Amino acid sequence: MNYLLLTPAFLLILLVFVLPLIRYSWMSMHSISVITGLDYIPNNGSNWIRLLNDDRFWRDTIQTIRFAAFSVSIEIVLAIIIALLLSQRIKGKGILRTISLLPWALPTTIMALGWRWIFNTPYGPIDQISSLIGFGTLDILSNPDLAWIATVIGDVWKTTPFVALIILAGLQTIPSDLYEAFKMEGGSPLQSFIKITLPLLKPYILLSLVFRLAQAFGVFDLIQVMTGGGPASSTESIAIYAYLNAMRFLDFGYSATIMIASFILLITICLFTWIFYNKLKSKLSI
Amino acid sequence: MTLILNSINKQINKNWIIQDLSLKVKDGECLAILGPSGCGKSTTLRLIAGLEICDSGSIFINDEDITNISPVDRKIGMVFQSYALFPHLTIYENLSLGLKIRGISKKESIRRVSSILDLLKLEHLSTRKPAALSGGQRQRVALARALLRDPSLYLLDEPMSNLDAQLRERLRPELRRLILNGNQPVIYVTHDQHEAMSMANRIAILNDGRLVQIGTPKDIYKTPASIFVASFVGRPQINLFPESAGLIKGIRPEDIFLDNKGIDFKILYTEWLGTNQLFHLDTSQGRLRMLCNADISINSDHKINWKQEKLHLFDSKTKLRINNG
Repeated sequence: MNYLLLTPAFLLILLVFVLPLIRYSWMSMHSISVITGLDYIPNNGSNWIRLLNDDRFWRDTIQTIRFAAFSVSIEIVLAIIIALLLSQRIKGKGILRTISLLPWALPTTIMALGWRWIFNTPYGPIDQISSLIGFGTLDILSNPDLAWIATVIGDVWKTTPFVALIILAGLQTIPSDLYEAFKMEGGSPLQSFIKITLPLLKPYILLSLVFRLAQAFGVFDLIQVMTGGGPASSTESIAIYAYLNAMRFLDFGYSATIMIASFILLITICLFTWIFYNKLKSKLSI
Repeated sequence: MTLILNSINKQINKNWIIQDLSLKVKDGECLAILGPSGCGKSTTLRLIAGLEICDSGSIFINDEDITNISPVDRKIGMVFQSYALFPHLTIYENLSLGLKIRGISKKESIRRVSSILDLLKLEHLSTRKPAALSGGQRQRVALARALLRDPSLYLLDEPMSNLDAQLRERLRPELRRLILNGNQPVIYVTHDQHEAMSMANRIAILNDGRLVQIGTPKDIYKTPASIFVASFVGRPQINLFPESAGLIKGIRPEDIFLDNKGIDFKILYTEWLGTNQLFHLDTSQGRLRMLCNADISINSDHKINWKQEKLHLFDSKTKLRINNG
C-alpha cells in the first residue's frame, strides 16, 4: 500500500530511463539502417564486435575522458578558489554570488556560440589581440592539437559556478570556531586550509566530481556548437559519434551500441567515485 | 600570573560592544563573566584571546602588553562553547595537532598527549573521532586541549552550556580539579548564574558592554549595585516596588516571612519547588513573591513581614543602590 505513493516517480523513471535503456540494448543487438529498410534484423552481436574493433570509437572515448578529466579538475580547483573568495566577509557579497552564477544560468548553445566567436579566426578577440601583439592569428579552432583546449575552456567557464556553489555550501558547513581554535594553536592561514578546510571539503569535492564527470562524459551541445567535433574529429566525443551514426550515417543499431557502451563506461566511473565518496563520508562521520 | 584589562573598547558595525571595560584577575583566581545574551561577554573573551582586536585600551598578562600580539603568542588555553574539535581527526590527532604545528618533537608530543589523556581518563577514546563521543567526553577533550597549551591564562566560553543539568553537576568538581586549582587566572563566561556562583571566586556582571558590578558571589547577591544586578542575579527574582518618590525598594523572596503583624495578603498561586515553595501574593505593595519551606501551612491570621536590614534601596532615576546592605 505504501508503495502506491511511489508509483508516479516509478513510472517516470520507467518511461524516461529504464525503457529507453532496454530499447537501446535491444537495438544494439540488431542491424537497423537504411540498408535494412529500418527493419530490425538480428545480427548476433556483430555491432558489439564492430565497436570493440572501431578505432574511431576508442579514440573518441579517450578524447571524451581527456575532455572530462581536464575540464572537471580545472573546474574544481577554480571553484574552490572562487568559493573561498565568496565566503569572505566582503561588501556586496550577495551581488557577487549572483554574478558568478550567471554563466551557469546561460543556455549552453548560446554561450558556446559566444566562445566560437571568441576563438574565431581572424575576427575573434583572441586572434585580434594576438595579431596586435605580433603573434599573428592563432587559429585555435582549426588546429587539431589545440581545438579541444578551447572546448575545455568553454566548459570550465560555464560549469565552474555550479561546482563553486556546491563547494561554497560545503565551506559554510565548517564552523568558524574550528579555524579560531586552530589559530590559537598557532596555525597559519595556509595550514588551516590544508589541515581543516580541504579535509572537511572532501565529501563536497567528490560529490561535484560525480556530478560533473557524468555530465562531462556525455558532452554534446557545447562541442556540437563550438567545433562540431572537428577539426579532423579531434574534439569528437562519444555522444557526438553516436549522434553522427544515427543522424548522418543512419545506422541506428550501431548508434545504440555506442550509447549503451558509453553508459556502461560512465556507470563504472561514477560507481567507483561514489564508493570512494561513501568511504570518505563514513570516515569523516559527517 | 595576572591578567589586566585596561579600559578596553570595541565597536562592531558602529555598535559599542564593549565600553571602557577594566578588570584585574589574579593568579589562581576564577572570574566569571555573567550577563544576558548580547551583553558583550563573549566579545570580551575573544578580545583577550586575540580573535578580535580592541579599538582602544590595553591588555596585560604578567605585565606584558599583549594587546596587539597574535593569538598563539598569548599562550591562552581556550575552551569553546561548541568545543571546536576537528571532526576529521581522532581524539589523539586533535590533541597533538597544535603541538605538531608549534614544532614540538614527536617524542615529546607523544609524552605530553598521553599524560593528558591519562589525567582526563580518555586513553580508551584516543583513536575515536569526536562524533563517536558523548557531550561530556567531548568537553573533556576540549579541556585537554586547553591544558596541553600549558597556558598562562584559561578562557572558558560557556563550557557547560551544551551539557544536560545532571552532567554539569558531575563535571563541576572535575573542572575545579583540573583548571581552577592551578595558578593561572581563569575567565569563565556564562549566562548561568548558578554556575557562576558555584565556580567563581569573583563575578563580573556585564550589561550592554559595560561592567555593572564586580565582586564575590556573596557581595553581588547581598548588595547588588543596581536594579539590573538585583533582578538579574537570584532566582526566584527579587521583588521590587516603589517606596516613595525617587525610591525603589527590593526584597528577596526568601527574606519575606509569615508573621502576626505586617501586611495582609491573598495567595494568587503557589509553585511547588521541592525543598521549598514559592507563593505569588497580592498585597497592598503590589504582587510579591515569597519563598517558604515546603511544609509550611498558611492560616488566615498570617501576615507577611520582613526585616528592615534585608531591604535593598535603589534610586528610581539612576537605578543605582542607595543603602549599604
